[in-house]
Amino acid sequence: MPQSMPSAPLLLTAAVKYLEEELLPILTGYHRFQTRVTANVLNIVRREIELRDAQSTAERARLRALVGHDGDTETLSGELSQLIRRDAIDLNNENLRAHLRQSLADALAINNPKWPKQ
Amino acid sequence: MNDDDFSARLEAALARHSGKPWKVHDLQRLTGGANRTTISFDAADASEQRRRLIIQFGTAIEDPVAGIVPEITTAQQARLMIAAERAGAPAPRVVAILEPEDALGEGYITERVAGETLGSRIVRDERFAAARRVMARQCGEILAAIHRIDLAEAPFLMRQDAAEHVAAHRRLVDYYGFRLPALELALRWAAENVPRNQRHTVLHGDFRSGNMIVGEEGIRCILDWELAQSGDPMQDLGWLCIKTWRFGGAGPVGGFGSREDLFAAYEGASGHPVDPRHVRFWEAFGNVKWAIDCLRLGMRGIEEIGIERSAIGRRIEEPLWDFFNLIEG
Repeated sequence: MPQSMPSAPLLLTAAVKYLEEELLPILTGYHRFQTRVTANVLNIVRREIELRDAQSTAERARLRALVGHDGDTETLSGELSQLIRRDAIDLNNENLRAHLRQSLADALAINNPKWPKQ
Repeated sequence: MNDDDFSARLEAALARHSGKPWKVHDLQRLTGGANRTTISFDAADASEQRRRLIIQFGTAIEDPVAGIVPEITTAQQARLMIAAERAGAPAPRVVAILEPEDALGEGYITERVAGETLGSRIVRDERFAAARRVMARQCGEILAAIHRIDLAEAPFLMRQDAAEHVAAHRRLVDYYGFRLPALELALRWAAENVPRNQRHTVLHGDFRSGNMIVGEEGIRCILDWELAQSGDPMQDLGWLCIKTWRFGGAGPVGGFGSREDLFAAYEGASGHPVDPRHVRFWEAFGNVKWAIDCLRLGMRGIEEIGIERSAIGRRIEEPLWDFFNLIEG
């Protein structure tokens, strides 16, 4: 249960609803475009709040297996970058490929869920 | 400088470059943005003959990565467009390259070509349906023309073969300090899979939907020459195919055509065979380049770039996703 109600995603949903349903129809040109981009950005933030914690936990578990020790997700991810860069891991390693695919799929689920289907 | 001052300087510049007096009408700023300014205007001579023109100014911002990846000045772009037209490519016709005595800054004046540049309209609007049927072949022919420009006419182009181009992007990622496992894999893959048997020609460097003027009959003009370089010509073909530049349209070439049409037209016009796997490397690496651009554009600070540019930073996974599809598919 969040500390404050309504939850952040709900507030963002309400803000997007106002922008898209009430403001956009009366706008043209530059401000119509900017408002559409703004609604899109707010949706990205909402999906990040909803999805990122669970994604990060799973990502950390995958990274732990690849790097060989524990740490926070960001540090482990940086270490994996170094392993790839120093040729210390095979590019065709199936677990590596699966991890990268899943991480990209996770980020797309936040930033642009339609992309993989296009 | 107000519009009257600007018009007066413009008239003086036109007179200096053409040797006869002109009157300037209908000044219109076409793009805002911090990077570039484009102004459209008409010029009439003593007999009231009107010319539809564009003045394009260079960027005032020093690019922090200039010298790592290719980029040319506005004056160099104009010289290259003149050479391109001579080689048979539809580049904007250059009327004047601005000089210090014009007191207008760095830039050039070209003829103005009517038509649509917005990628999303070109790939979807009904009125471009006939154009879409011929555009992939046109792209093949135009690229063949650009690639036969004599390198001696563009000695200012940065010279990078495929391995050097990949290495330059490695340095770019290091310059910004990006640490992304998927990007690291992509850069290593590219370094290990650089194509052999490259030719070395002039490249447009940013040949894609969005950088061409299109009419109902097809492509009228190729714009945006600032990323020109010399290198592996297949780079231009691969870049044209990446999914981002399809703008949701059908057809892997620019959202409008087929690879078969593009390759056949290029082979016919250039006399050089196209190996689809060679182009595929550049399509894959084009995705890597666009991913790096997303990071760069998204990181330039919200004061400078606003919400649209900031949001581009969140598009980095799109081309990386497409990259994996290409190398695993």
